[in-house]
Amino acid sequence: MSAVSNILTIARYESKVVWRNWFFRIVSLAGIGFVVIFNLAIFSEIDQPRRFELSNSWMMPYTTMVMISIAQAAAVVFLATGLIKKDKKLDTNEVFFARPISNLDYVLGKALALFNLFFWLNLLLLCIPLIVNLTNPNTAFNPLAFVIYPLLISLPSVIFTTGIAFLFVTLLRNQPITIVLLLGLSAVELIYYFDKFSYILDFMAFRLPMLASEMTGFAHLNFALWQRAFYLVAGLAFLFLTAFFLDRLASHKRVKLLTGLVGMVLVAAAAVIMIRLVALRETPIALRQEMIAVNGQWAEVPNVDILAHLIHLEQVENKLISTSALTVKNNRSEPLAGFYFTLNPGLDISSLTVNDTKVDFERHLQVVSINNAITLQPGEKADVEISYEGAIWESVAHLEVDQERYEFPRDYLMFALPKKYAYLQPDYVLLTSDVLWYPDTQIGYSRESPRKERTSFIDFQLEVKVKESQTAVSQGEIITDGNVFRFQPEYPLPKISLAIGAYEKKEITVDSVTYAVYQYPDDNYTSEYLGQLTDTLGLLIRDIVNEYEDGQKLTYPFRRLQFVETPLLFAAYNKIYENQQAYLQPETVYWPEEGGDIREFDFRRQLKDMDEQAKRDNQVLSDKEKQANVFKDLIKKVFTKQSGTVWFYGNRDEDQPDYSLFPQLYSYNSGVVSRDWPLLNRSISSFLRKDLQTENDYSRNMNGISFEEECNELLRTTMINEILTSETNFNKINKSVSLKGQYLFAYLGQLLGQDEFKGFVQNWINGHQRQLTSYGDFRAALQQHFGLDIDPVIRQVYFSTAQPAFEIDNVQKFEVLDGDRKRYQVLLDIKNTGDNDGVIEVKFNADDGGNDNQFSRRREAQQVKEEVPGYLSVIKLGETKQLGFVLDEKPEKITINTLISRNIPSVITMSTGTFSPRKLTTLFEGEKVLPPTEATSQSEVIVDNEDPGFSTFSPVEPTYLRAYLDSKSPSDQKYFGSWHRSRSKWRATTGSNFYGKSILSAHFTRAGGGDKLATWEVTLQDEGFYDVYVYMMGKNQNEFNGRDDNNQQFNYDYTIHHSDGTDDIKFNISKAEFGWNYLGSYYFGRTGGKVVLTNESDFGTVYADAVKWVKQ
Amino acid sequence: MNIEIRGLSKIYPNGHAAIRNVDLDIGSGMFGLLGPNGAGKSSFMRTLVTLQSATSGSILIEGMDINEHRQKIRAMIGYLPQDFTFFSKLKTWEFLDYAARLATNLKKKDRLIKVDYLLDQVGLLDVRERMANKLSGGMKRRLGIAQALIGDPKLLVIDEPTTGLDPEERIRFRNILSDLSQKDVTIILSTHIVGDISSTCHNMAMLNKGEVAFKGSPEGMIDQVRGHVWQVTLGDEEFTALKNKYSVVSTIPVEGLWEAQLIATNQPHPEAKNVNPNLEHAYVYFMENQLGVSLV
Repeated sequence: MSAVSNILTIARYESKVVWRNWFFRIVSLAGIGFVVIFNLAIFSEIDQPRRFELSNSWMMPYTTMVMISIAQAAAVVFLATGLIKKDKKLDTNEVFFARPISNLDYVLGKALALFNLFFWLNLLLLCIPLIVNLTNPNTAFNPLAFVIYPLLISLPSVIFTTGIAFLFVTLLRNQPITIVLLLGLSAVELIYYFDKFSYILDFMAFRLPMLASEMTGFAHLNFALWQRAFYLVAGLAFLFLTAFFLDRLASHKRVKLLTGLVGMVLVAAAAVIMIRLVALRETPIALRQEMIAVNGQWAEVPNVDILAHLIHLEQVENKLISTSALTVKNNRSEPLAGFYFTLNPGLDISSLTVNDTKVDFERHLQVVSINNAITLQPGEKADVEISYEGAIWESVAHLEVDQERYEFPRDYLMFALPKKYAYLQPDYVLLTSDVLWYPDTQIGYSRESPRKERTSFIDFQLEVKVKESQTAVSQGEIITDGNVFRFQPEYPLPKISLAIGAYEKKEITVDSVTYAVYQYPDDNYTSEYLGQLTDTLGLLIRDIVNEYEDGQKLTYPFRRLQFVETPLLFAAYNKIYENQQAYLQPETVYWPEEGGDIREFDFRRQLKDMDEQAKRDNQVLSDKEKQANVFKDLIKKVFTKQSGTVWFYGNRDEDQPDYSLFPQLYSYNSGVVSRDWPLLNRSISSFLRKDLQTENDYSRNMNGISFEEECNELLRTTMINEILTSETNFNKINKSVSLKGQYLFAYLGQLLGQDEFKGFVQNWINGHQRQLTSYGDFRAALQQHFGLDIDPVIRQVYFSTAQPAFEIDNVQKFEVLDGDRKRYQVLLDIKNTGDNDGVIEVKFNADDGGNDNQFSRRREAQQVKEEVPGYLSVIKLGETKQLGFVLDEKPEKITINTLISRNIPSVITMSTGTFSPRKLTTLFEGEKVLPPTEATSQSEVIVDNEDPGFSTFSPVEPTYLRAYLDSKSPSDQKYFGSWHRSRSKWRATTGSNFYGKSILSAHFTRAGGGDKLATWEVTLQDEGFYDVYVYMMGKNQNEFNGRDDNNQQFNYDYTIHHSDGTDDIKFNISKAEFGWNYLGSYYFGRTGGKVVLTNESDFGTVYADAVKWVKQ
Repeated sequence: MNIEIRGLSKIYPNGHAAIRNVDLDIGSGMFGLLGPNGAGKSSFMRTLVTLQSATSGSILIEGMDINEHRQKIRAMIGYLPQDFTFFSKLKTWEFLDYAARLATNLKKKDRLIKVDYLLDQVGLLDVRERMANKLSGGMKRRLGIAQALIGDPKLLVIDEPTTGLDPEERIRFRNILSDLSQKDVTIILSTHIVGDISSTCHNMAMLNKGEVAFKGSPEGMIDQVRGHVWQVTLGDEEFTALKNKYSVVSTIPVEGLWEAQLIATNQPHPEAKNVNPNLEHAYVYFMENQLGVSLV
């Protein structure tokens, strides 16, 4: 009998055995059911699928494979261990052991039996997406995807899992222990090493990034293939080792030895692959560190500036061949004995001439230095020509991004997307200055000197030779000559970028700006859903542009704006010193392939939503109107950010793509360069940028305080320059930097006059279009205009850690008749009790009704809200100011942004509630300092939950799991998110709706039987009758029950302990007003009394905030 | 077929010596291996069919060392283990076909013919589609024989084949083996049931505590007990006294008295008469008188 025949025999019958195993059948059926439901729900037209789920033809089989990967691995562990386990009672097996088969035949036969079944199961499971794919006319079908993903995901995983399960059960001789051990290992991989180590440990390929782009195919496939190869080879090695260790006499010693030897060779091969994998991961990481160190060495070395740069570039397969002709100039006041360039280390320099003389140079990774070959006197220019060719090393990009962020996945549906920073492959090229594809004199990131600002823009020219039928896209006017594209920007630019691909170009010129879309053919998707806009597109664009420019008070500085589709995998980062991501290049926006998962690109769905919305509103919209709305929605939400998304989570989404066009108006057009204040430029940009910011940060609901308040806390203890160089997470650094910037400009605005100051900055930029200006000039101009030197202000803001704390008091609201016109007066007293002067910003908004309905939110966002500028006020330390506002429309909400302060919440939003009518008196608009008030009289005593008189009691023991988890992560966390109601404790949380001085907080707990108590205890100076009030969130308390509560009434149980005994009060919170609510009047002796609240309520959460005693 | 066993010992890792220094020569035909439970029969047979290695000694089958030519020897043997009851989910014919594919080189058609032929031989053709683990105990045994025979083995090793079978099944089983022994096949049958051997084997060995207590023909073994087997009919009291002194092989109550057969070197009772011994008597005699094992 040949080995093959033996293996096939064993495989054949063992397959039958496993196939008849109920466990396998149940698992298979469950898998099929799950995949059917999943595919129908996500990809079929039953529930209109989203565009991004359909547009990528690799997605459907990939999703199915990933979905089943974990369950499949677990099933294999169960079945494999059962298949090979050695049961002493199983003499029936021994009749096969006594047959003339080798141990390897036996093991491979059994393994093959499993592979066979899982092959068919996978095939069957793949038929489901295949059918959905073929029957849904809106999907693209890609047969290759149905072959590649099973081979990449299932095959190595099944072989590896089988191998390891066989080996473990053979060595341990115990099936349950083996199963527990292997499932435990998988769980550890999934829980502890999820998204870690570049997915080297992800044997199931559950997260290993392998989604291919429709434009450019796979990325980093090399790594994925090696990773899969490792598990494949390791699995095979385990099978051979299982045969070696199998508890059966080998047919021959030599055969056994040979089996063991092959096993060891395979183990060695797996080890080599692992070493290679680790190297593939480590090499770029190490390279990045080296490059950062090299940058550090050069950061303080003076260099020339580039005035003009002409690049000739030709792409040959995976390489580029370029020549750069540069005009450089010594802008320093001292002679330069040499100078240097940065260039991608993958590009080799073949020749370098200065003023037509060949010179020697030194290469240090990305830095090319010319030493002592030429001395440039101050102001002297030189012509440099550099010829270079080679590949682009992507890891060069974004050096300031730490390793964790660099490796952190971008989520897409359920995948981790591979990250690409540049493309240089035969069919596609995408190069941004981040990968140093052309020589530059600006040194990049280093720890010692994180930011070296460019001091002047460059006159670029680019000549690109492309292959037949390819289109090159770069900045400037395009002159094509056969397959040569010449780009001639009309203006100096900070940088240029280049994309080459099979693009289709559509363009329209409106008001002398040419708007172009470069796109890969999309099966007429755009024309199908936006086709009716052809004749009105110009008007639409003009409207949007006018609105945008009016809003920003800046003009678009370029002659063209091109929207270039880029592969889905192209990734960019937020930066500390810049306000733009690599998706934004001068004159150019790189938008993701087919719109990525950006909702606004999902035209079909947007139109459907619009239909539904119109139906609800009884509106009739023509197709054209609908299309126009969809188009406007796209531009305004994604590119001009005139309307925004509603919810976000601070401290997450750190590198959420940002396609805002604002950098075109500022960063790529202008800039104030400062050696001392490298953050200034970004702060100016933030100051000017008037994107609609997202409103509702739910980090408070998660953590008890908002992310911004966390950053404020950090800024109280650490100076900004220390934060910048600390190991703090990027989000915190970034947010702290923006807070400082915001504060700086709010403060300056207060000192100089808000509108005047903003106007000055806008004029400065409009007056210095397409050039960089120096901080010195800017400072001097400000001084001349306003008579104020901003330098000490900046210094004070950046280096101070002391913060103000504001108490908002005595909010008065009146409705006043001014002639026959209704007007609204709002008065606020604001006291600064902190340890520094501070700035607050007061805004009035129309109410959103506390409505969480997505559609109403969307509608609201679609109606472009004219953002009313806030009123800023400086309140000095210890000072109390009254602010008066006179409004023509009744405001629904007052928002007080305390910027950098001790306040929690730092942004207080109050519903204005009812305005009491009042006869015309003098309306007060503006601000005045109030005289210091005397200590509060004893006629009114408030006990807040932050006060010592407040205490809580809970006899409820935490669950064992909770107690264990708490003991695992002890924390000194003071505030907790309201989404985590504790069963056993009263916990504090914060929010605008609570009472407090500078910290608005309340305690809360899960409602229950009434055994948890909150007590406010008071001592009073005078005995007598007191009115007792409790502070309530009012209708907000009910916000999540607002719609379908059938008028259900909820009560809180209070007990008042007074001089005459106790009184129980059931207080109806559903009718409570926001603020103080009257409980009753009681006689209190000088020993005082107390109010006790239990957690008995039908309402899910019980809040305990503040109680007030007012003497009658 | 010639099997030569010399100095064979098997000591398990826990120190238990299952076989000690066994020397045996086994030729063609049926060879019986008799012994009480735990005598080392199964260990001996498992060693013989290459499921475990001997601690010392050698086994030569047709002159081939079992350790050197395991593959060839495995191709020659058919094995039916003692506890042949648990089956994975395979049908009767599938189980046999599985064995057939591993044991023979037959083409599919011929193989399936052979499978059905053997099923017919062992009387299982009617249940060929039934799941093997749903067969009765006797049917499972017969399936066991069929699988042992499927490769036309030259050596058939059968461990305790009749344990737990009803008399009818047992007779049927013996007949199958008798038929086989007519062909040029060596059958080694281990049992602790004397009748299995007396009715089928021409050669036998008796194992006790891992050692060979007797080897030769069943007749030879019976000869050794001739004149020591007695029959006597006695009342209750006398019988009890006798029972404590001698090995009683059988007792039958007859009209208020006991008719007993017992083994004694000399006449145990004045009324005792010599009877013709059989293998069972010889077995008891050996165990009790020669080896000092109390069987009764």
